[in-house]
Amino acid sequence: MRNKSILSEAKQIGLATELIQLGARLQVLESNSSLSRERLVKLYKEITGVSPPKGMLPFSEDWFMSWQPNMHSSIFINIYNYLVAHTDVRGIDAVIKSYKLYLEHVEVNQLERVLSLTRAWTLVRFVDSDMLRVAPCKKCGGSFVVHSLELYSNYVCGLCNIPSRAGKTKKSMQAAAAMQAEQHIHTAHAPVH
Amino acid sequence: MDTNQILGEIKEINLGYMLLAQQMLREDKIAAMYRLGINQDVADIMEGLSSGQLLKMAASNMLLCRFRFDDSLIAEMLTSHSRELSVSRSHAAILMAGQTAEAIA
Repeated sequence: MRNKSILSEAKQIGLATELIQLGARLQVLESNSSLSRERLVKLYKEITGVSPPKGMLPFSEDWFMSWQPNMHSSIFINIYNYLVAHTDVRGIDAVIKSYKLYLEHVEVNQLERVLSLTRAWTLVRFVDSDMLRVAPCKKCGGSFVVHSLELYSNYVCGLCNIPSRAGKTKKSMQAAAAMQAEQHIHTAHAPVH
Repeated sequence: MDTNQILGEIKEINLGYMLLAQQMLREDKIAAMYRLGINQDVADIMEGLSSGQLLKMAASNMLLCRFRFDDSLIAEMLTSHSRELSVSRSHAAILMAGQTAEAIA
């Protein structure tokens, strides 16, 4: 598809730039902009300084089910649903807006950025194609991402019922250990009164 | 605090709230609607208020903004000490985003 209008092309480039800056993969760009693949690759290189990663996108819907990803994707999908319900943004613009609000939440609460833009976009596509949906938790009433084909009449979310090792990844354990060691050093060097 | 003082404080909070809301809406309407928890109609009205109207509205003896959590559960989460703070805040964010926006009938 050739772009005739310069203005609309500028818009497309703006959109693609924003997506690249948020960390989108090439496939996301391709399906959301009418720019040619070569131009997108060029743009990607220009912005990030490296070639776009090759290979397939992460496609597993089970990823959204484990505890930490589920928390993050539920935050995102709730923001997204709010925006779609109450404002007039739709499609990729709504994804970008809600992803930015999600990033803000992550930053304010010093969480890890678990959900990438590509995953967020995939999540919206999965929900649109009825592979995933949101189900209300029986206990808190919040909406959480679940598989579409299972029964959820008695669903209790992972945040009301936190599994014992939830969020304790190798990385977070190491970070905690490092922090403790640092504190230990500080207390060891503290002057004794 | 006597009544006059309280009314003065309320006015000040109202004015601060309205100014902030208006600024947020003008800068980024969609994000502001999410943050304020209001729907399109309310957002349009607030965005379009003139300074004079805004002052008149702020000079009320009642607060113009109110709690967003009608739910004691959210209040509990936002103030909880038991669990990891970021997790309960995320939980609260999910619940708050899931609530309906403030609308005018």
